[in-house]
Amino acid sequence: MRLRLSLFLYVALLFNMQPSVAEPSDGVVDRVYHPYILPFERELEWRFMSRQNEDGNELLQRLAFGHALSETVIAKFYAVGSRDEQHDDFGLEGYEFELRWMMTEQGKYWADFGTLLEVEKYHNEKRWEVTTGLVMEKEIGQTSLTVNTLLVYEWGDVPDQELKTQLRVKYRYRWMPLLQPAVELYTGDDFVGIGPAFMGIKRFDSRRQLKWELGFIAAIDSVSKDHSLRFSLEYEF
Amino acid sequence: MLRLMLSVWLIVLSQDALAARPEVVVRLKDHLFHPAKVYVPANKKVKLIIINEDDDPEEFDSFALNREKVVFGQAKANLFIGPLPPGRYPFFGQYHPTTAQGEVIVLPPGEEVPDAH
Repeated sequence: MRLRLSLFLYVALLFNMQPSVAEPSDGVVDRVYHPYILPFERELEWRFMSRQNEDGNELLQRLAFGHALSETVIAKFYAVGSRDEQHDDFGLEGYEFELRWMMTEQGKYWADFGTLLEVEKYHNEKRWEVTTGLVMEKEIGQTSLTVNTLLVYEWGDVPDQELKTQLRVKYRYRWMPLLQPAVELYTGDDFVGIGPAFMGIKRFDSRRQLKWELGFIAAIDSVSKDHSLRFSLEYEF
Repeated sequence: MLRLMLSVWLIVLSQDALAARPEVVVRLKDHLFHPAKVYVPANKKVKLIIINEDDDPEEFDSFALNREKVVFGQAKANLFIGPLPPGRYPFFGQYHPTTAQGEVIVLPPGEEVPDAH
């Protein structure tokens, strides 16, 4: 009963944080972070996102290297490449530094919590973006509910410097290591999108493994076409 | 709103922390789990205390239990599992998967742990 009430309150509070701004929804469909970190974790990541709407096709790719700094903290450095709808000129968009902190021991409390801090500097622009927030995961039988509540603030050469919110939700069925179907929901920047996703993990030996994620997110708050395909590969060694 | 959210979270954390839960000790020696069969009650959160008596680190890994945890050499780590329905949940040591193997056996309510002798 206490658990259900807590979950209800938490979800109610999250939905109270809906954004009210009207900006392009860059970066809203990205990935849903999990709160877990392992010591010795080292990883290379390639992340791909293609968004198709009436303005054209927007492409975003990230290459990253991550390294655990301790049992509960991991740092990651990204190079971000993008191509906008109008120019078809794929190139370096910026650099990003990310820190994730696992705040609670997995399974100890009614849910597991972590925090995220991302700082992005746009290439050749006086423009910065910081993203921070709470990462939560709740195990429900053979399924897992993951929720990211994020605050995003941009400053420098930007039209407005207001604080924005994002909500990312994933509900995953842990079917088998290689294939775990899920449903993902993204909100932020006046965008609400939902769609199917899949993830999996393939172990090669005692220390090397490959994680993959694939999702197709369609906007549900728009009558016109607006959908995103996201894909990521994460090699841990 | 943020204050309210944090308050709710802290209340939940403190209540969970106060709840008594069964504890089971599992030792790792020569890259083997002792005991290899870990009996726990159904529908209860259980604390596994893993004591690694080897010099090498080991990663406790179980997809069925949804847990991954590194235990450093000559060190101890706590792992929280459940509440789980009755059944068998295999686990292994990711760094020595051929030897370090075991399973958590969740007993139905009222069933006793079988005598090892």
